[in-house]
Amino acid sequence: MALVKASGQATLPLPEPARDLATLLADLAAPEPSARRAAAHDLAAHPEAAMDLCDRLETEANPSVREVLFTALIHLQSSSVAVRLATLLRSDDVPLRNAAIEALQEMPDAIAPHLRDLLADDDNDVRIFAVNILAFLRHARAPEWLAEVVRSDPHINVCAAAVDGLAEVGGLEALADLEDLRRRFDGNAFMEFAVDAAMRRIRGE
Amino acid sequence: MMAAATIAHLKATSPVTTDEEFAKFCEFFYRKTGIQFKDGKKYFVERRITDRIEKTRSDSFRDYFTMVRFDESGEELQLLVNSMTVNETYFFREDYQFDALVGGILPEIARTKPRVTPIRIWSIPCSSGEEPYSIAISILERWDLADSWNIEISASDIDSKILHTARKGIFSERSVSRVSAQLRSKYFTTRLDGDFQICEALRESIDFSLVNVVDPLHTRRFREIDVIFCRNLLIYFDDIGRRETVEMFFDALRPGGYICLGHSESMSRMSSIFLPRKFKESIVYQKPLSAE
Repeated sequence: MALVKASGQATLPLPEPARDLATLLADLAAPEPSARRAAAHDLAAHPEAAMDLCDRLETEANPSVREVLFTALIHLQSSSVAVRLATLLRSDDVPLRNAAIEALQEMPDAIAPHLRDLLADDDNDVRIFAVNILAFLRHARAPEWLAEVVRSDPHINVCAAAVDGLAEVGGLEALADLEDLRRRFDGNAFMEFAVDAAMRRIRGE
Repeated sequence: MMAAATIAHLKATSPVTTDEEFAKFCEFFYRKTGIQFKDGKKYFVERRITDRIEKTRSDSFRDYFTMVRFDESGEELQLLVNSMTVNETYFFREDYQFDALVGGILPEIARTKPRVTPIRIWSIPCSSGEEPYSIAISILERWDLADSWNIEISASDIDSKILHTARKGIFSERSVSRVSAQLRSKYFTTRLDGDFQICEALRESIDFSLVNVVDPLHTRRFREIDVIFCRNLLIYFDDIGRRETVEMFFDALRPGGYICLGHSESMSRMSSIFLPRKFKESIVYQKPLSAE
């Protein structure tokens, strides 16, 4: 028969002795990605290592190590971590930026106090990314903040991103703001389409 | 010790936990297993807690919870886990993935892997064994290179009781309803009680093991795996639990290895480090060949 039994272990191996913080931090720069992944994974138990993990994200090029770094930072989420991750919204590295957005979506309480600043950023792209965070943020005020963007942001692409967000999380109270937005960009076919689609979705049509 | 009247009272006056106690219990259970219970599951969870309170003769939820948390042997936690897991499955469930396995995934592995090393397949959670046995039968029956390779199938579950059932390999008529008469006669014997037992050769060829995916001690022996079947497990986890489990799978797979998820599960919201691949009707996820 082609099937052979795997040589499973009847008993579990003994736990490896926990590595100290200094060793783990040194391993974050190890040449093998698997060693860096393991270090990042174990550093999730060390809140004092949060900024080192953020530092490493800025230089780490291996996608699988980055992913574990982000997971560790979600574990260690804090206002300072959120601020550091928010700086990645300005990165030209698209996968890194997207991963930062996804990680920030996982830390609603940590990022919430900083969202107003991000939504008021001079850079349209940063405001769009902030709206992207909001659209999947498990925070009670997310619909309200999105509606605020719809009411006040001057840039059509930022508003369109907020419309998409409201289509996901908005309630009936957003309908008036969406109607106003349609009038604000009167004649713009794309905005017309986006607002109609969001309103239909909110109404459950 | 708990008097019978008190137990009856407990059952009659459900809920057995306050909202705060229920939240604490869910947090503890999540930390230990990665399994998350939403509020809608409160009745399901409380019924099982009540049963364990009764069986351990604890005086109250608080007594029972204290006992579970400080039981160094971990036996009561294991029994609690066994009672909380759902093990409903059957042979050749979501069989399009077995089509993908024998029609696309294994041939691709055979083209890229040195013949001297075995092909390793890991079924987790394996529940009562239908999935790993279905994998084995699919390979033996439908992959023409099966005899040219050594193939190891490991099967793991967090539920020790269901693993015992899987090792015995006895299945109901309902469980084997999608197995053809020809395959039943080839791989099963019919028992006097009408159940079906899978042949000894298959039972002996699969390595069943107790694995809690959130415990690195359990998972680190799984390395250089070619294909992981992890279907309908991650739906019980929260986002961070899913991320961590997928990262564990990344370490367990050899470069170029594959993960098959359940039909309602998608890797896209969990991880971006796997490549989506389409084999016939299935989308599976591949660890890049270049990954280290």
